[in-house]
Amino acid sequence: MRWYPVFLREVLLFQKRLFRLGYVVSIIFTPLLYLVAFGLGLGRQVSVPGSTYLDFLLPGLIAVTSMMNAYTWISTNLTVSRLHFRTLQIYLQAPVSPAAIVTGQVLAGILWGLLASSLLLVLGLLFGGQVRVNPVFILALGLNCLTFAAFGVVVGMKSRSHEDNATFSNFFILPMAFFCGTFFPLEKIPTVLQKLIWILPLTHTNVLLRHPDYSLQSLISLGILLFYGAACFLGGVWIIRNYSE
Amino acid sequence: MIETFELTKVYPKILAVDRLTLTVAAGEIFGLLGPNGAGKTTTIKMLTTLTKPTSGWAKIAGFDVVRQPLKVKELISVCPQEINVDRELTAYENLLVFGKLYNLKNLKSRIAEALEFGDLASRATDRVQTFSGGMQRRLLIARAFLSHPRVLFLDEPTVGLDPQVRRQVWDMVRELKTRGVTVLLTTHYIEEAEALCDRVGILSHGRLRALDTPQALNEQVGGFVIESLDRGRKKYLLVKDREEAYARAQADPEGVIIRETNLEDVFIKLTGERLA
Repeated sequence: MRWYPVFLREVLLFQKRLFRLGYVVSIIFTPLLYLVAFGLGLGRQVSVPGSTYLDFLLPGLIAVTSMMNAYTWISTNLTVSRLHFRTLQIYLQAPVSPAAIVTGQVLAGILWGLLASSLLLVLGLLFGGQVRVNPVFILALGLNCLTFAAFGVVVGMKSRSHEDNATFSNFFILPMAFFCGTFFPLEKIPTVLQKLIWILPLTHTNVLLRHPDYSLQSLISLGILLFYGAACFLGGVWIIRNYSE
Repeated sequence: MIETFELTKVYPKILAVDRLTLTVAAGEIFGLLGPNGAGKTTTIKMLTTLTKPTSGWAKIAGFDVVRQPLKVKELISVCPQEINVDRELTAYENLLVFGKLYNLKNLKSRIAEALEFGDLASRATDRVQTFSGGMQRRLLIARAFLSHPRVLFLDEPTVGLDPQVRRQVWDMVRELKTRGVTVLLTTHYIEEAEALCDRVGILSHGRLRALDTPQALNEQVGGFVIESLDRGRKKYLLVKDREEAYARAQADPEGVIIRETNLEDVFIKLTGERLA
């Protein structure tokens, strides 16, 4: 439980910001915009095999929302607290192991990711969308949050400025949001690109959230997400262990 | 309690700390005196495990800061130069998180004690962003004190504070000494080093130029200073005793100021530079 104080601090900070005017709105504003513009507007003109476009889009947006919130909260907070407020140094100079620091951060990232995606799920259902929620769906969403929160730790610890952080978002997170099958089926992408896209974690979250069944494909996708999560987590621990100012 | 041997930190193109060797005894208040960029903060960062030395070693209570960082962290507490408290949280919440990081028992009573120590009990539930600079600095020291460390590192603890708050901080440091805490502080304020420190190390460009009690250091350079004007520029002459100072002063028709030496004179004599 040495991770608990790290998690507690994040929760306390989140609580303070939660009641600020517009904060909750900002969490889900972008996915909500996509939901309304693409799902309810443009989506009426688009056909997807086997379902309505809104039903196709909603799980993808839930995956993107969980990724964005888990990643952004952790990477931004770490960058700012390390370089600007220097509050991260409290952890680094306290008798807490690097693994405990990463665990606390990642758990906080998972919590924000799940909160934001649950909020979007409720709104999507209110708009008439349909999503199959079962243990595979919840596990996939949790692993997605874990992976991107841990990636947020890596980016937050390696960024040399706030701009660096934005660069990582623009080159890794944003392309994944658009090309990993969130807005259109992967089959519609050129075959060469499909192979690259299958390597990316968000693709597997999208597959799992759309078809949360107990198949071999689900098992493989869960395994790939777990691999990414573990790799980013261990990467974060290694970076903190070798951190030097 | 603190031991370093040829401790060195080299950044690209900068030699920040150059073969620093020193020993600080248990219960001592030790000061590192030097101007900005002398290597004081880098030294503290190495001793508190935040910065890895390029070469040499440092130990706290016998534990190596590189090879046994968790053991070291259990014994120390740091009050950094920057006020690194969470401004969005209350004073109590800041101390709560800190106490849990150190896995402290009886945390509630310890927090109450720390708030009392920092004279902040009445503002415990206020957000830190509503505090003045002096109150935030007191919270920082109270936080460092919360874990009852055996060794406390204070990096420029009074920088930017008005004289009244500075004296409050000095009282807090003296109080820590009575409780047996070993204190290593950095400062570029002469009067702070003279008022608080049992011994002082003078750092310049990463090198330790002298190390002794403030009294002994002052005696090394003479004991008295004659300040005079030479074509509009201040001139300082170090002499051994008051009689010699009077004798020389009488020879100067322009008039002079005679005063006792202080650590700034020691610094100038050793490095040829001023502290500020």
